[in-house]
Amino acid sequence: MKINGVTIDDTFAEAFPMKATRIIITAMTLKWAYRAANSLTGFASSVIGCGCESAIERELNPSETPDGRPGIAVMVFAMSTKELEKQVPKRVGQSVMTAATTACYAGIHGDEEIPLGKNLRFFGDGYQISKTINGRRFWRIPVMHGEFVCEETTGVTRAIGGGNFLVMGKTTRHALAACEKAIDEIKKVTGVITAFPGGIVGAGSKIGSKYKFLVASTNEAYCPTIKGQVNSDLSDEVGSVLEIVIDGLNEEVIRDAMRKGINAVCSFGPRKGIYRVSAGNYGGNLGAYHFHLKNIVV
Amino acid sequence: MSPLTFKLNIIPEFTLDVSPLTPDKLLAKSQTQIKKINLRYGKQKISVDKLFSISGDNPENIKFLGSTEKLICIGQNMSRGNIDVQGNAGNFIGQYMQGGNINVQGNAGSWVGNSMTNGRIHINGNVDDYLGAGLPGDPYGMSDGLIYVSGNAGDRVGDRMRRGIIIICGMAGDYCGSRMIAGTIIVLDKAGKYSGFGMKRGTIILAKKPRHISATFKSCGNLKVQFLRLLFKQLSEMEQRLTLFREYGPEAHRFTGDLASNGKGEILILQTIKTG
Repeated sequence: MKINGVTIDDTFAEAFPMKATRIIITAMTLKWAYRAANSLTGFASSVIGCGCESAIERELNPSETPDGRPGIAVMVFAMSTKELEKQVPKRVGQSVMTAATTACYAGIHGDEEIPLGKNLRFFGDGYQISKTINGRRFWRIPVMHGEFVCEETTGVTRAIGGGNFLVMGKTTRHALAACEKAIDEIKKVTGVITAFPGGIVGAGSKIGSKYKFLVASTNEAYCPTIKGQVNSDLSDEVGSVLEIVIDGLNEEVIRDAMRKGINAVCSFGPRKGIYRVSAGNYGGNLGAYHFHLKNIVV
Repeated sequence: MSPLTFKLNIIPEFTLDVSPLTPDKLLAKSQTQIKKINLRYGKQKISVDKLFSISGDNPENIKFLGSTEKLICIGQNMSRGNIDVQGNAGNFIGQYMQGGNINVQGNAGSWVGNSMTNGRIHINGNVDDYLGAGLPGDPYGMSDGLIYVSGNAGDRVGDRMRRGIIIICGMAGDYCGSRMIAGTIIVLDKAGKYSGFGMKRGTIILAKKPRHISATFKSCGNLKVQFLRLLFKQLSEMEQRLTLFREYGPEAHRFTGDLASNGKGEILILQTIKTG
């Protein structure tokens, strides 16, 4: 199958069940909300090494936030609720509470909840105040900039991690330009994040390694510099491969994000150095969710 | 289905306890059964049909027509549905209420929302003393829910209140928020003397500067209180009548006290009203 001269492989992306939460960070200005959000989502590209995957979902207008200030919606994905419970309060405590003028609220409410301000309140050293408004409990923690307001808990929902596609181009410059456009399109979809830096993976991995102490290592079949040494999946003309990994709240939003991303990549075509789009999987035996590229782009 | 309507046929001389007439208690009853319910009228017990003419068939929505201040305990212990009172109402409206809505078109007596644990009460006129308070013997006053008074309130608003929100659009009497354990009281006009007397925790928000602040409250100065942004935004989105809170900003003079008690309560005197 080809779109605008770009070959779409007859393969699928294999994705896994995860747990996710959404957090709303507000601040006096959008700039400061971004600073806190960028700090919270830092070092959260992959569960393999970071414990969670996190990124900014979207900007929020003052009318969309609980306190009427500009805000950012951030999503955090982990393999279990327990891991989320470990990651979220730590990140909020160190990255949001310490940022000037910020406040932090739950972006999802569900049956399952994890602590947000529940443990952070102790930072108030006895001067913290609890407030319940319309069934939601908030903590007011006195801090040097005034008070840090934080919702007691945030909801946890079932989610999916690992929707992906590979972009094969003539050079890294070509592949990167196409991927950047894809990321811009994916950002328009609510309920998904691309957790890697800039949303793009430059060093995709396969499971396992020749070294026993490594759980993941370079995906040699897609490494152009060792095409001649390994059983490569790349043709001669491909000089660079980049991957986009998508985590989302459900299959539908991931499919939508992949469709938008792939279409954006294909709009470049071979004349602009984009030759092929593929996807990463493990033979279909590990992940519960299979996103077949041909079904998605049709 | 039309609201189950109770039209008062007499002008009561004594207090009339209508606590059996709540959505919870009438849900499974036919109109014949409802007519036979005995209500406490002064020292006597009189059946409903001798006091009210009944119409309508939806017990989730109950209406009292021609109500007077002699009707007491309206919506006592209710946990669901709506009660609409056309006229005035007596004491103990929404006592121990657990959910649902009560709307009173006129004035109400004392002990409105006494020890309620959830739900919403709206009084279109004035209320007497002990709004949202706890009776002697109750461990505390209201512990959740929302009471909105369009007019004025008497003394001891929110006495021993533990959680929830009380909004008074008019004036509040003396000892507003006395012995508060927690919760929020908002007074949009003047409050009387000794606001926050003996309060341990909780927040009293006064839109107008009171004549008098007890010596056992310490000033923390003029501040932008982040919580007020959250509170006013959330309130303004809760109900149409609460959209007035869009006009209020986070600037407030904060007093903390009562230092004679736990000292962790606060009185916030709003400094400005947002414009534009």
